[in-house]
Formats: sequence, structure tokens, C-alpha cells
Amino acid sequence: MTEASILPGLAGAADCSNENDSSCSDISNKSLRIAENAKKKRQAEAPLLLALKYFSQVKTGTPRNGNDELYGYLEQVEREALAQGLAPEAVSIMLEFAMSLRMTSAISSRVLRFLIPASVVPQEAVVRGFSWLCMQKLSQPTQVLFLRWVLSMFDMIDSKDNLRAIYGFIFSFVIDETMCPFICHLLYLLTLKEHVKPFRVRKLLDIQGRMGKQPFLMQLLALYKVFCPEMVTLTMPSKMKAGFKNHNSTWKVALAALRKRNISKETHSMELTLGVRQHPHRRKRKFHHLLVPALTPMMESSRSNSRKGVCLQQLSSFAELLDNLNSIELPAQMGSLLSSALALHYLDCVQDESAFLRLNFWLGHALHEEFLFGPVDGSSESMGEAAHFLSMLVSTQHFLQEGFSSTEGFLYKFLTMWDGFLHRPQILELLSDIPLVPSSYIKDVLFEPLMQLYFTSSVFFKCSVIECLTSMLRKWLTWHSVCAQEEGLDISLNNRSTMSLSLSGFLDSVLKLVQFVGRLTSVGLQLERGHTLLLHHALGFYETVSDMFLKYSLPLFVMLPPGVFFPALLATDPVSIDRLGYIMFRYRQNLTSAKEQQKKQRELSLHINRSVYKEFNTYLVAMVAHLWNSKSFSPRTGIEVSEALLERTKVADYSKSFDLIHHPAFLNYAIDFHQQCWPERTDVDLNSIKVGKYWEWYVEFLFTQGFDGLRDFIKVNINQASARQSIGQPLSQPTQPSQPTAVSSPSS
Amino acid sequence: MKLRTKMLKPFRKVPVLNAANVLLVENEEHLHSRLADIIVQNEKDVNITVRLARKLPLPVENQDSRPRIDLVVFIVNLMSERSVQSAEQSVRYLDSGFFLGKVCFLVTGARCLSVSSTRLLTVRKMASSLHCPLLFAEDQTSEGVIAAAVRLLGILKVAAGLVPFATGLSLNSVTHCILPSDLEQNLDSPTC
Repeated sequence: MTEASILPGLAGAADCSNENDSSCSDISNKSLRIAENAKKKRQAEAPLLLALKYFSQVKTGTPRNGNDELYGYLEQVEREALAQGLAPEAVSIMLEFAMSLRMTSAISSRVLRFLIPASVVPQEAVVRGFSWLCMQKLSQPTQVLFLRWVLSMFDMIDSKDNLRAIYGFIFSFVIDETMCPFICHLLYLLTLKEHVKPFRVRKLLDIQGRMGKQPFLMQLLALYKVFCPEMVTLTMPSKMKAGFKNHNSTWKVALAALRKRNISKETHSMELTLGVRQHPHRRKRKFHHLLVPALTPMMESSRSNSRKGVCLQQLSSFAELLDNLNSIELPAQMGSLLSSALALHYLDCVQDESAFLRLNFWLGHALHEEFLFGPVDGSSESMGEAAHFLSMLVSTQHFLQEGFSSTEGFLYKFLTMWDGFLHRPQILELLSDIPLVPSSYIKDVLFEPLMQLYFTSSVFFKCSVIECLTSMLRKWLTWHSVCAQEEGLDISLNNRSTMSLSLSGFLDSVLKLVQFVGRLTSVGLQLERGHTLLLHHALGFYETVSDMFLKYSLPLFVMLPPGVFFPALLATDPVSIDRLGYIMFRYRQNLTSAKEQQKKQRELSLHINRSVYKEFNTYLVAMVAHLWNSKSFSPRTGIEVSEALLERTKVADYSKSFDLIHHPAFLNYAIDFHQQCWPERTDVDLNSIKVGKYWEWYVEFLFTQGFDGLRDFIKVNINQASARQSIGQPLSQPTQPSQPTAVSSPSS
Repeated sequence: MKLRTKMLKPFRKVPVLNAANVLLVENEEHLHSRLADIIVQNEKDVNITVRLARKLPLPVENQDSRPRIDLVVFIVNLMSERSVQSAEQSVRYLDSGFFLGKVCFLVTGARCLSVSSTRLLTVRKMASSLHCPLLFAEDQTSEGVIAAAVRLLGILKVAAGLVPFATGLSLNSVTHCILPSDLEQNLDSPTC
């Protein structure tokens, strides 16, 4: 059933009976029902066979006008092609008919337009097509149509070695200005190292001189340069435009429809034969770019034996890969690398530039043409397909631990028209993988589109954006710290000529990112009324930021904005305050160790802005005043509210309301502690916790509840001596506060 | 004089407590009723009224019964040139007070824009010159429509003053569309 449905009219026109019978008998062994289906099918195909026979035998110069027979057959084949696709033999016959120009070129181009293969295109047919092209009989539009057809069907051509054998013939068409873009694209797909010859490079440069720096020429030259850098001295721009357009518009709809039908048939047949689950959709993947093609070698036929190359799909274990590392043949379709773990290992350790170039090209093409501007039918099937593809891309990039440049370009484009929902997990995951963006255009490509999405979307989207940016920052920092080790890039190094340049560029971008997230989180928290989840994501980001110096050896200090600090300090959940305590603790550790380093190497000052110390101290004072000294809302604590206003709130002891006992986040702990201390007391007087030893016990009690961040914060920041002194007396005496041991700026 | 009576003004009516009104303007009329249903269903706390129109100006007769409009959404389908033109013409009938955070554009069909990216550029230019947010929606899937409706609802609540500490203008200042500079276009647009 599968066979019969995939290859309708399996056999060609003339000698159909034998093959068809044998295939039928094979099938009939499986099941009687299947055989009957096939028989029905064969009967329906009889007129098609007649039509194909006509086209294979029709003579040149047969009159066209009033030739009902011709048009009848033509319609027959067209209907079949659009409904089922044509069998390989039928494709050969029709292509031969069209290219030989036995009727007029109008008929030829009509044939080309409906030439949809059901499974594969025999390469001999394409080679013959090129031989007809060499006759120069075809009109120019037909020539271009043929080339577009070949490019569109390229994935379906069964093997390409004979096409590569006529590389020179194909190359000769490059001088034709209208055909040049298409020929360049085809050559790009076919080129091997041995094809790169000085005379070809000269020719291309010559054409470039005539036509200007056309992207298709540049792409082909870039590939030549990868294979033979010594031959192409041209300097390539670092960011190249995607060079080749998609040419499959004519056949796109038909191919997509065909693929859909085939898949539905195949799933249907799967129901009949359970157990064949090994490669369910493998075959159909060829029809769609968003599906990763199977691993097929570049050299399919017997010639591969004469070459010493080893195909990736012949290898099955990592050990084998290691043995053959130097003689690996890249597959014909670079996209297939994505699906193979071994291939990814290979890519990772070999760092083959041509492989990356080809993979990037394939990927950029697939993402742009098939996803970004792809068919928008909204069916769950195509959505699932795209989601699967993107997920695989995510896992590939995680494996390689770097993002592809084509993904990056795609994301910048997609962000400007994203609805914030479509494939959100994958898109954000991919976004977090993008390599460092230069600060000169980070705002345009990343911040502006993200900001517009962020502020118009739900709080959960906001959280995932912050999470994504946190992960992006971590990846950048990790990349930096690894690079710093590898290249000896160290802030204490004397030769800062080149390195400091790149370091300052890096610092610029990181600073921009941190400031951007500061803005997002501050305004976001305001909009969402201090949503706890968003607050935690913001704090997660600043946990990374506070540790940049010690953990990633990056000399950059940015404090968290007040818009995050105060919502966290006054939050109703204790975890936020605990995390804030940890962040302040880490900031302190980083700042003090930076100061020590600064003292040690006075001449190589790593410059820390004095305002950073000032900001840190302000926060520290605010935090200690609120949590420890019961001095909320008093001057110099960050939140100053006029007394008259505070009186009007009718809160009795407003200055106490955010200390560790009365803080809404810790209130239940205080009550719990109170009950444990005085189980017999029925009236709860929380102020009694502040007296004497109980305060010390209460703080210890909090530490045992898992508030490690808070413990670190208090241990480091509260001067133990003065703390004990203040514990000795009731804390309601504001004249004896325990002073926070602030970090002073170096000059003061 | 005639134009002035046809103008839609934001502050002509007094706001009603716990109520928000949104006007969806779409020439094609195939998305706005779906959006309206979801917007109304999704909000339980506040009284949401969705009014639909094909284009502006709105008929003068209903002026008195019409509630205060808190947000005007222009739905533009990039597949059709008329949709873009209709939005361009309708915008003229809005009082300038609306552009302080009470207008946004919702664009559909941006992703299958293989034929004409000039329309998207036109809409982008319009939105950025009017300092309005430009949202994109995937109208082919029901999830996409829901997502768009939820986003509109969020903006509406801010514009209607239902979110403390946030005003339509403050939200507008961080979400309004900014025309991408040439650099971006050079970087990643495919050559066409």
C-alpha cells in the first residue's frame, strides 16, 4: 500500500507491465486488500500511461493548433501531476519532451510548471535537460524556468554525481546575465573542492567587475574561498546578505499539498502495518525544507569506493568517528547534520569553515523562506513541524554551545513581527543563544522590538523575557571568562593595546544589556504592581549581575535599580527579601575584592565609578534601617515620607513596621517564634521579642528557617560588636543603632 | 467645520466606574468580532464594552449613546492594500488627544509577506509617526487570536486607567513603534 501510494504509475509508459506486475505481486503477498487497491489504481492510471506514451513518441513539428489529442493528454498528465505527483520515469519523459522543444516553448513552459515529482527526480533526466540547454534553442524565459525547476527540485534529485561531472558545462552558462543568479545558486549547491579552478575564479571576478558586487556572485566566491583560500584574494564582508532567493514559488503550493497528502496516506498505511515504526516520515522529509533531510552522502554511486572519504552515516560510534576524523565526507545536505549527534561532534571538533558556511546557508534559507515567510495555513500539523524544527535547532545550538549566525539574522527579523506567542519557548531559547551583539546596534535589533513586545504582553511573557535575557547574559559572561583564560586576556595584563579594545567593547554591550533589563524590570514591576513572579525573575538577573567580578572576572559593577530594590525589600514574601540579602552580600564581596585588587595594583586601576559605592551604601543603609534598626521612612533610608502623611495612615509604630519582626513577610515567623517562647501567653506582644536575648534568638531562629541569603547579609554587614550592644538594650532606642559597615569609596 | 463634528474625541464623555470601552476598526471585518468575543470573555472584574467599526468617522447619530472610548485599535491586514488605505484614512478622524496612549495598530499577515514588504513599511511609518504601538497577530490560529486579544485587553486596562501607577501615556512611551534604522535592514533583510 505504501509503495503503491507513494509511487503512482510506478512504471514508465512503454514497458510498464513487467515492473508493475512484480511490484503488485510483492504487495499482494502482504494483504489481499492492498492488492485490490493497487489494482484499482492501475486501472485509473491506464489513460496516464497512454498520455506518457504519446509524449515520449511525439515527433518534432507536430501541429499544435487544433491538436485535441495533444491537449487532452496534456491535461491528463497535468491533472495527475498536481493530484499525485509524477513517477520518476514520467518525470524523465515529460522533461525530455519539454526541453527538446518538440512543440512550442509555450507548451514546454506549461509542462515545466506542472512537473511535480511524486518521489524522486532521476538525475539522468536533469543531465539530459542540461544537454538540451546547451543547444541554445530554448527561449530565455524557458531556460530560466528550467533552472528554477532544477533548483526547486534539487533536494529530490536522486543523486548528484553525474551533475557534478558536468560542472564545467553548467559553469559555462554563468556568462549569461539572466541565467547567472540561478546558475550561481546551482553551482553553490554542487561545488566540491576539485571544482575550484583559477580560471573559474577569474571568470567570476570578471563577471563581478561587469555586474557589480551581486550577492549571488559573492556567495559563490565565498564558498570558493573556503575551499581554496589561496585562489580567491577577495575580502568578504563580515556580514553577508543572504545571497540566493527562493525560486520555488511556482511549485511551492503543489509540493506542499502533495507532501500533506502523502503524509496522511502514510499515517493511514501505518495503521495497517504496525511495527514499521523505524523511519516513519523519513522519505517525505525531502518535500519540505523545514524538515531535516536524512543523512545521505555526497557521493552516492560506485565512485565513492574509489575515494578514500568516509560518509558520516557509515559511522555508528564515537570511536569510529575518531578513527576517521580526517577523512570524513560531508553529506550532500548540510541540514542533515542537525539530526545526527555524531555529525555534531564532528562539526564541533573540526571547526570546518566550509561546513559551517554551508550549514548556515541551509539554515538561513530554511528559516527565512519556510518559516518566516512560509505558508501560513495555521494547521496544527505545520505548527508542530515548525516547533519540532526549532526545538531541534535549540538542542543543536546547546550542543555546540554557540548560535548560528543565520539564526541570529532570522531572529532579528522575526522579532520585529512576532506576536509574542508563536513558538515562544523555542524563540526565547534561541534568542538567549545569540552571541555578543555590538553595542552600536544592540538597541535597534534587540532592545526596541523586545521592549515593544514586553510591555504589551502578559506578566508571564515578561517573566520569560527576563529569564531569557538572564540566560543570555550568563552565556556572554561565560564566553568572556573562557576567552579570558584562553587568550590570556586579563585585566591585570600590561599589554592592553588590542585586548582592552575588545574588552571595552564587551563591557559596553554587557552594560547596555544590564541597563536595559534594569529598565524592563523597574517599569514592568510598576505596571504589574510588583508581581512576585516577575520580582523573582528580576532578582535572578541581579544575582548574576552582582557576581560579575568574582565569578566571571569582568570588571563591571552595576547596582540594581531602585525600582527593583524597594519592591523586593518591601515584598510580602520572605524569599524576595532573602534573595535581596544574598544579592547585597554578593555585591559587597565583589566590591571589596575589587577594592583590594585596586590597592594592590595602583597604576593599573580598574576603574570603578564612585557612584557605584554611593549607590551600594544607600541601599545598605536603607536595608539595615528597615530590617534591623526599625527606622523605616526616616531620612536617608531611601524612602522618605513626610511625617504628617505617615500620621494620617494611623499606623501606630510606623517606623517599626518593616523590621524583621513586623515586616509583612516575616510576621508569621515572629508569631511562630512568640508562641514557642511563651506558649502559655495568650496575648501576642511582638515587641517583647526585641528585648534582650530574645532578639538574638529570633534572628538565629530565622536563619534556621533557611534564609541563608539573609544570614550572609547580616553576618557581613552588621557590625557584630555594635549589634550585640544594641541587642543588649531595647532596640526602640533609636540613639543606639547598629551601624551598617558601609563600603567606602576608595578616595574617601 | 464638518470635519470637526465627525472627529472622535477622547474626553467628551465622563468615564464610568469599573468600565472600559474599546473600539476595533477593521475594514475586512473578519478578525474583530472574534477578538471582541475573547476580550469580553477574558475579563471578569471590569465591565468591558467592545465596539466594532469598519472605518472612521463613526456615524454622527449615535454620538450621544456612544460611551467614552478608551482605546482605538486599527486592525490592518497586510494581505490587502485596501485595509492599509482604510486605516490611513480613518486615523484622520481621531482627535489628537487619542494619540496620547489611546491608539494602537494590530497587524495581521506580516509573516507571509512574500509579495509586498512596502505595506508593512507603510504601516510602520504611520505607527511611528503617530507614536503608537504596533502589535502583530497570528490570525490563522485560534491561539494566536487569543494571544492578541489578551494583549489588547492589557493595553485597554491601562488606557482606561484601571491599572494603578500606570497611564496610557506612560505605557505608550515605552511601547510606541520606532522605525528601524537602515542598519538593521542591511543586516538581515534578504536581498530582493
